Amino acid sequence: MNITIKLDGVDISAKRGRLLSDVLSLHGAETEMPCGRHGKCGKCRVIAHGMLSEPTANERMLLGEEAIGNGVRLACLTRAEGDCTVITQKRSESRVLIDGEMPELEIKPTFSGYGVAIDIGTTTLAARLFDEGGRRIADAVASNPQGVFGADVISRMESALKGNAEGISKVTVEACDSLIGMLSESAGISSKEIGGGVITGNTVMLHLLTRTDVEPLTHAPFEARRLFGEVLTASELGLCSLGAEVEIYLPSCIAAFIGADTTSAMLGSSLAQHERSEILCDIGTNGEMVFSDKGELFACSTAAGPAFEGAGIRMGMVGRVGAIDHVSIVDGRLCAHVIGEVKPTGICGSGVVDAVACLLELGIIDETGYLEGGEAEISDGVVLTQEDIRKVQLAKSAIHAGIRSLLISAKTDISKVDTLLIAGGFGSYLDTDNAIRIGLLPSELRGRIRSVGNAALTGASMLLLNGELRETAKNTVLKVQVRELSGDQVFADEYIERMMFE
Amino acid sequence: MAILVEISEALQNGRSRDIKGLVEQALGEGIAADVILKEGLLSGMDVIGEQFKNGEIFVPEVLMAARCLNNGTAVLKPYLAENGVKAKGKVCIGTVQGDLHDIGKNMVKMMMEGKGLEVIDLGKDVSPETFVQTAIEQECGIICLSSLLTTTMGVMAEVVKKANEMGIRDKVKIMIGGAPVSDKFCKEIGADVYAPDAASAADAAVEIFNEVK
Ligand code: B12
Ligand code: FES
Repeated sequence: MNITIKLDGVDISAKRGRLLSDVLSLHGAETEMPCGRHGKCGKCRVIAHGMLSEPTANERMLLGEEAIGNGVRLACLTRAEGDCTVITQKRSESRVLIDGEMPELEIKPTFSGYGVAIDIGTTTLAARLFDEGGRRIADAVASNPQGVFGADVISRMESALKGNAEGISKVTVEACDSLIGMLSESAGISSKEIGGGVITGNTVMLHLLTRTDVEPLTHAPFEARRLFGEVLTASELGLCSLGAEVEIYLPSCIAAFIGADTTSAMLGSSLAQHERSEILCDIGTNGEMVFSDKGELFACSTAAGPAFEGAGIRMGMVGRVGAIDHVSIVDGRLCAHVIGEVKPTGICGSGVVDAVACLLELGIIDETGYLEGGEAEISDGVVLTQEDIRKVQLAKSAIHAGIRSLLISAKTDISKVDTLLIAGGFGSYLDTDNAIRIGLLPSELRGRIRSVGNAALTGASMLLLNGELRETAKNTVLKVQVRELSGDQVFADEYIERMMFE
Repeated sequence: MAILVEISEALQNGRSRDIKGLVEQALGEGIAADVILKEGLLSGMDVIGEQFKNGEIFVPEVLMAARCLNNGTAVLKPYLAENGVKAKGKVCIGTVQGDLHDIGKNMVKMMMEGKGLEVIDLGKDVSPETFVQTAIEQECGIICLSSLLTTTMGVMAEVVKKANEMGIRDKVKIMIGGAPVSDKFCKEIGADVYAPDAASAADAAVEIFNEVK
């Protein structure tokens, strides 16, 4: 039996009993579903009225009675039992940083006309257009449309295995096409003048893009059967903005959870080009890190969870208008900065780090993470809860312990490390003193931490502008010694030890 | 007896180095081993469990307390065996096949031991067959399954299936947990109990054994 759902003002027909989340993704709504529709994260909020299934216990817990009374529901737990209206929340553009200085480079372009470099991040896509002379013509960013299939790579692969592989690949290719469209438009060229490209991303992203079977990547021993480092044509990838024969290079991945984005970021940050001891670390849901001990390379991947991307935190959100992105103490009280200078609606990763550091400073959180009263208001109704603090503890110690165990496995004392390079957007907004205060980063590295921006995109651009680097990068990848943290006792001990706030 | 309170408090504060001495002192005072265990160590673990459940303390504190419990029971072991003190019940626990996360599973194990249960730890990446076989061979009352990956949660359903096939569901309960697991999922796959945290898991296990009796 079919029923009518008024979705954001448009009447659509659906089967009775369908989950709203299915209806939403079928009709291209942009609602985020970070936990992959497991009814756990409470982020797939919609406002719904009419004939709906009764709120479940999980909804009551995650939303509270007041919100439910106002018609707020979780799409992944609510079924349309009859005619109803559903209003979704629109996503607004998030703040993304795509800067990153390119190291000195001899221009030997791999394309004629124009070339495009794209980084498919788990949350954000960033792209850059170059001309044959290596001049940067335009930049573009977009959020990763895979979000509706889950927030983290595992959830998305799970979704792919449940029959959405085609769909995920399609939205990803379309997003690349639309980025290319945006770049061409702002450069005033036709996208058909683009003669070559590089698309980088983590191993899972490249698998999903190319419709490669992800099954082996979803469970231990996490084997990546395809590591890329290969050229595909635009038509093979399904990109229709480019000429069918245009060649796209996908850089080599290092392991299942250390991808081509890490390979590119190594290049983009000149890691291993010096007689120095440097760590490159990308802090996201997964923290990939590479340590170069004067050119000898070690890498690992640690899972932090999405706390630093604002997910999994009660009032967490990505860094866009309305998010508290910085917090400081002024005259003994918390003072928050909100993106867009509006009334805050939530808090993003950099804000969480600052807020926790300040709460520690004020003694509102003790060194074990205990939060007096169970809740602390950061600003204007935006709070952090005890539960949130626990999530931060799990996440920050995963990164911290990852750095330490990588160094220990490389038999290097942390005092010998010259620099910690932080790649990715989060790094650029991160207050490193606060990151050290909460134990996200080791205090021994104070004063030696540098943000390198979107090094993955920088690296991809280099692979576009100088074909010889592809061979270099491939060889570098072979030299990386991968350290597996599961089952590593050093990591396990460090992980527990770093969970406290010293 | 002041010494028992002292043992309980030392455990709650994670003073693992002091425990051995305190337990020896209690034995020296002529207190029976099972009383030291119950009213000193396990009563301390009860407090820890309660505080953890309420979010007042977190993983490191629980692990430190568990270390104390281990140090303490190591001293008591020979005396307990002598007195023929038996565990309240026996369970086997493991992280399911394909998953190597084991911190949560280890905590559940410790909390259950803290309730005086005997726990067989099958480790991680454990196949459905191993769970069911162990339960049969070792006569466990509960199989405890942990999974942290949404992609390996399905293995829990396989364990349930296997247990059905072997016809052991009337004797063996299946308890599941791990961050992505929920009560809803527990019902879906036909497992018996879901618990959100290690302390609740231990409580639920004790309840199961009490019902059986
Ligand atoms: C620590 C960690 C790791 C460590 C694991 C170390 C170890 N020895 O266990 C390392 C770095 C090795 C790791 C690796 C990976 N991880 Co990891 N990891 C985490 C992290 C940060 C914390 C997990 C944890 O230990 N929590 C603390 C414990 C105490 O809590 P808990 O396990 O939930 O257990 C409690 C309850 O759930 C319950 N419970 C647990 N088991 C049971 C059992 C029963 C019967 C009952 C009743 C109750 C119960 O009691 C416990 C205490 O109260 C989480 C993210 C997060 N914030 O949760 C990601 C996370 C679980 N990992 C994830 C991923 C993807 C991975 C990797 C696959 C990829 C990678 N490299 O990043 C690998 C592969 C691991 C593997 N081979 O299986 C994802 C899973 C996503 C998903 N959709 O499934 C998470 C959620 C992070 C994320 N969002 O991306 N990880
Ligand atoms: S609660 Fe619905 S997607 Fe997480």
